[in-house]
Amino acid sequence: MASTRTSTFVLPGDRLDPASLPSHPTLPLKLGPGLRHIPPNTITPTVAGQLCTDKRKNAVWVEFNGGRYIPTTGDLVIATIQNSAVDIFYASVSDYAPKATLPQLSFEGATKKTRPQLSFGALVYARVTHANKHMDPELECVSQSTGKSEGLGPLTGGMVFDISLGMARRLMLPKPVEQGALVILDELGGQGVAFEIAVGRNGKVWVNSNSVKGTIAIGRAIQETDEKALKIEEQRKLAKKVAREI
Amino acid sequence: MVASKEPSVLLSHLHRADGSATFSQNGYTVIGAVNGPIEVPRRHELPEEAVIEVLVRPAAGVGGTRERHLESILHSTLRQIILVHNFPRHLIQVTLQITNTPENKNTGSKVVQAGSHLAILPALLQTAVLALLSASMPLATILTSVSIAIHADGKSRKLITHPSLKEFESASSVHIMAFTSHGEPLVVESQGTFTLEDWEEVFETVKALCHAEHNRIDDNAMQGVDGKGNMLEFVKSAMGEKVAQDLHWHT
Repeated sequence: MASTRTSTFVLPGDRLDPASLPSHPTLPLKLGPGLRHIPPNTITPTVAGQLCTDKRKNAVWVEFNGGRYIPTTGDLVIATIQNSAVDIFYASVSDYAPKATLPQLSFEGATKKTRPQLSFGALVYARVTHANKHMDPELECVSQSTGKSEGLGPLTGGMVFDISLGMARRLMLPKPVEQGALVILDELGGQGVAFEIAVGRNGKVWVNSNSVKGTIAIGRAIQETDEKALKIEEQRKLAKKVAREI
Repeated sequence: MVASKEPSVLLSHLHRADGSATFSQNGYTVIGAVNGPIEVPRRHELPEEAVIEVLVRPAAGVGGTRERHLESILHSTLRQIILVHNFPRHLIQVTLQITNTPENKNTGSKVVQAGSHLAILPALLQTAVLALLSASMPLATILTSVSIAIHADGKSRKLITHPSLKEFESASSVHIMAFTSHGEPLVVESQGTFTLEDWEEVFETVKALCHAEHNRIDDNAMQGVDGKGNMLEFVKSAMGEKVAQDLHWHT
């Protein structure tokens, strides 16, 4: 993986060296977050971060940790139900941002007769289906193709912790240990601590375990790993400490 | 106490705001916080672009006409660099709290400060840009701002970059300019008596200070200007450090 990727620091408006962008004979160039294309052929970064390229996928994006979550199609998020209308729920994805809509029928097995009863403050793990700058985002808790929940749906029990967007991205990497230098969860599991976890791309992580004390300890450990930028060795030490105290 | 001309900044230190920066230079310290894109009250929303709200709060007392004027300059400048069309019907809030101003003999007296209200403008602009960068707000470009005072006595004239408040007040004319990273002017505010040649010299000097690729300029324009103080380099190094820290896990 590392051999096909390179990274350099960029600021908004920097002129990118065309040689630094990947080129592929057949695949079209994919622009990821933090970049914009000014027709006809200018590509400039819009945020400060590291410019990353992947030659194999012919993709280029800017890696950054920051700010407020901006809904993007396909992201998995943890949303809080605010209120419900006739056939939709209004859910909050990030504070003070416009509410996202979640149709009451987009749950596994929901019909007009049996729809989920969710009240104010209930948590759902959902996928963003529509994200358009002119419209409020739309969520779903069921896979459109299979009709199964695939892990999405209401989150009962447990507790939500706020983390940075960068940490959420690290937790959701396919291989967090190799790609994100993140071993805290594996170590906690290795110490025999049983817990459930759901990570939202909007900077939220939901943790559930068999005791409230355990839930809070695990959530705090994740937050500490994020805030103090703990190295692998320090994460191991923290996991041992948490497992001992529970 | 002599205030340092060297700028310094602390990034993302307010954990409740989406982005924040505390910037100090020339004895001025400004805390900036950026929140956005967030929901905007119906009556304020714009259908095609984001609403930008700039709040300038003075070190003491409540804001008045002076702050409103600074806000209007900041508002029209930030509108040019934030990609406002990316967030229609949203609000981007920029709050700038002045916490420290250089000592002067009439501290707290508004009458004296009123004449030199432009002195703080570069610090406000720089704080706003750094806070926006810390909030990862999509920007078209970044801007850097420099103030210059001209001391002229008949024949000779002297340019002072980043003048102290004393130099600012005794100058025959003062100029505040901001440039994008491509060297395009965004803010040009001048006050006092000056000739067109003076202004052109100031323009070239500031452009060189704000624009990295323009580092080499002829010696005439460099009179009274030390090579240091390139603001673009400062922003680059400050942000580079922050990004490296944020992405410590990234290989």
